[in-house]
Amino acid sequence: MDNAAEDAAAAGRVRSAIYFDGKSSRRWAVVLAFGEQLEISAEDLPPVLWPYSDIRRVDGAPGALRAGCLSAPPLARIEIRDPSLAAELASRCPRLDKNRPDGHSAARIVGWSLAAVLSIAVVVLFAIPLAADRLAPLVPEPFERRLGDAADVQLKTVFGAHACNDPAGQAAFSKLMDALGKSAELDMPVRPSVLATPIPNAFALPGGRVYLLNGLLAKANNADEIAGVLAHELGHLKHRDSLRELIYNGGTSFLIGLLFGDVTGSSAVVFASRTLVTASYSRQAEQNADTFAIDVMQKLGRSPKAMGELLFRVTGKQGDNSLSILAGHPLTEDRLKRMSDLDRPASGPPLLTAAEWSALKSICGPRDKV
Amino acid sequence: MNQMSFAPQQPPPLPPVPAGFSGDRGEFFRLTARGAALELATFGFYRFWLVTDIRRHLWSHTAIDGDAAEYTGRGKELLIGFLFAMAILVPIYLVYALISIEAERLKAFGSIPLLIGLYAFGQFAIYRARRYRLTRTVWRGVRFWMDGSGWAYAWRAMLWGCLVLLTLGFALPWREAALERYKMRHSHYGELQGSFAGRGSEFFRQFWWLWLLSPIAIVLFPLAPFAYAQFKAREWRWWLCGLRFGAVRLDSKLLNTAFYGLYWKVIGWFMLLVTVTGVYFGLCGAVVAMLSGGPSAAPAAISRSIPLLVMIGLGYLVLVLSLNVVMRLYLQRDLWAKVMASVHLHGIEAAANVGAKGDLASALGEGFADGLDVAGF
Repeated sequence: MDNAAEDAAAAGRVRSAIYFDGKSSRRWAVVLAFGEQLEISAEDLPPVLWPYSDIRRVDGAPGALRAGCLSAPPLARIEIRDPSLAAELASRCPRLDKNRPDGHSAARIVGWSLAAVLSIAVVVLFAIPLAADRLAPLVPEPFERRLGDAADVQLKTVFGAHACNDPAGQAAFSKLMDALGKSAELDMPVRPSVLATPIPNAFALPGGRVYLLNGLLAKANNADEIAGVLAHELGHLKHRDSLRELIYNGGTSFLIGLLFGDVTGSSAVVFASRTLVTASYSRQAEQNADTFAIDVMQKLGRSPKAMGELLFRVTGKQGDNSLSILAGHPLTEDRLKRMSDLDRPASGPPLLTAAEWSALKSICGPRDKV
Repeated sequence: MNQMSFAPQQPPPLPPVPAGFSGDRGEFFRLTARGAALELATFGFYRFWLVTDIRRHLWSHTAIDGDAAEYTGRGKELLIGFLFAMAILVPIYLVYALISIEAERLKAFGSIPLLIGLYAFGQFAIYRARRYRLTRTVWRGVRFWMDGSGWAYAWRAMLWGCLVLLTLGFALPWREAALERYKMRHSHYGELQGSFAGRGSEFFRQFWWLWLLSPIAIVLFPLAPFAYAQFKAREWRWWLCGLRFGAVRLDSKLLNTAFYGLYWKVIGWFMLLVTVTGVYFGLCGAVVAMLSGGPSAAPAAISRSIPLLVMIGLGYLVLVLSLNVVMRLYLQRDLWAKVMASVHLHGIEAAANVGAKGDLASALGEGFADGLDVAGF
């Protein structure tokens, strides 16, 4: 094709497009003219003028140029399906592709996300522990007791267990708790109980509740072992660990959940990262409770080593088959070593007589020798 | 043209016009794959922009009567809506926690009824999120919009939900019809008011044998995807055929078997990806065992190796993200294309000159939906 024919075609060509005025859904077949501004005209349409610098591309069907105009009604649209005409208009609009939504720079979003994650990490690692430490002592005691009551109801339902109350055993248990309580100098009333379940464990709940599970009693060889464990739980009460942990876990779960939102499969990520951070927090609390227990036992003139031995009997050596960064407690062998290092010959009287000890052992009813 | 010869009093109705989806599959795949990678890099924050890009792609490649729709929502709006929703949800969660403690004290697990409150809030969020999406949908320079109350909707959804529970799913068609009537009655295209003409009994006739079959389908695995695909196809067709905007009526010829392939392909990819990940985990374990030296040390080395844990974590993330891409590709894009190809519109002349009306709704609803994990398309 020669130039003359091309020019003739261009001159005779109707620059047709489709126009929507943004005030109604009427579809105008319009003719475009490129003057000082874009001139849009049709037979019964009042002339429309769009300044080139206000014209912006918007989403449209592939192959067509669809554009709006900043100074026109927001949804007014011109649609050009002829590629050469679209190119002609595009060449006149200097800011056609400014502020495109796909112009959103991924790098900027990544950068801001990193900043957000960093700030959340700082909050999780520093601000929430601090807040938990400061807030826990401010929680009024009645509220704390209510928390404990709610957990108590749930706990007994889950374990299907009741509190053991053999009178002789109960007397021995109270004597032991009294001795420990005096030495621990707690600022709240303690409500201890023994639960009839074969699981070897003990724990403390808010509101001064201490639970000793019968399974642990069964594995214990002497009163000092049990006393050490109970002193450890009193340490948790003294430091208000369950309340602190509640605030801490609630805060971190919330923030980490916020971060990942509803990305499918993110719950595993949430779970994993939460386990990592809360485990380190909980290890710290356990360490402090151990320190407290050692202190109480030494004040009573008894060896803290007994507790370590009981723990070791229950868990065995842990280092071989668990990942220390995921564990909520320090490794038992490390705890035993720490308590053994502080071992001293007993200087105080035994905490329970032999008769009291055997009464305590059978507080949940007589049992066969394990 | 030849109609002119007998000069009718009124112009004859135009023949039904098709809708259709013309999006390029490769382009959509690249969009979602890149989005998944960015979601990983931004710890999930990219989801607002990804979901916006997906909608922009689907909307702008969907043409009705020859004119493509346009999605005018933006990722930043969703982010801001999400942050606002969080600011409102946080105190609610706190109060919720306090009330559940009180309830637990009275009775173990007595706080479960409170979950129902959260469910109602989820329904509210679904309604408001739909409102956001609809007001960002533009066709021929006129936007769709929505009024009505999210709480009125949540209330209806809850009552109907109770009925569905009590009848073991028997009442589901009537629930869907009633809720859809409420949503469509409050949906508008410019000055055209929407409505929903689908009846629960019609849907029930399509669905009762699937309902009877469902206990068997749940037990017998290969049957379940077929039954579910049938259910979804019938549900989509019934829904589409019930939609009205003024005198504009939709009609769908979606086949009952239309989704079989989609669901089986998703299941196939799922199994393949899980198997590949399993093999990868196995290989990682084997390498760690080999490096540990000696078969006796191997089990301990595997359970204590931190590099192994990191490798497994990465493998898991890649698995989750590729599953996301597969689901979006088949269950959003391909499903949308199939549905759109089946649609015809009758009486489109009623939409030839509709006045613009309606305001933009905020993205707060989408933020709630994200915060409560009930987000939709």
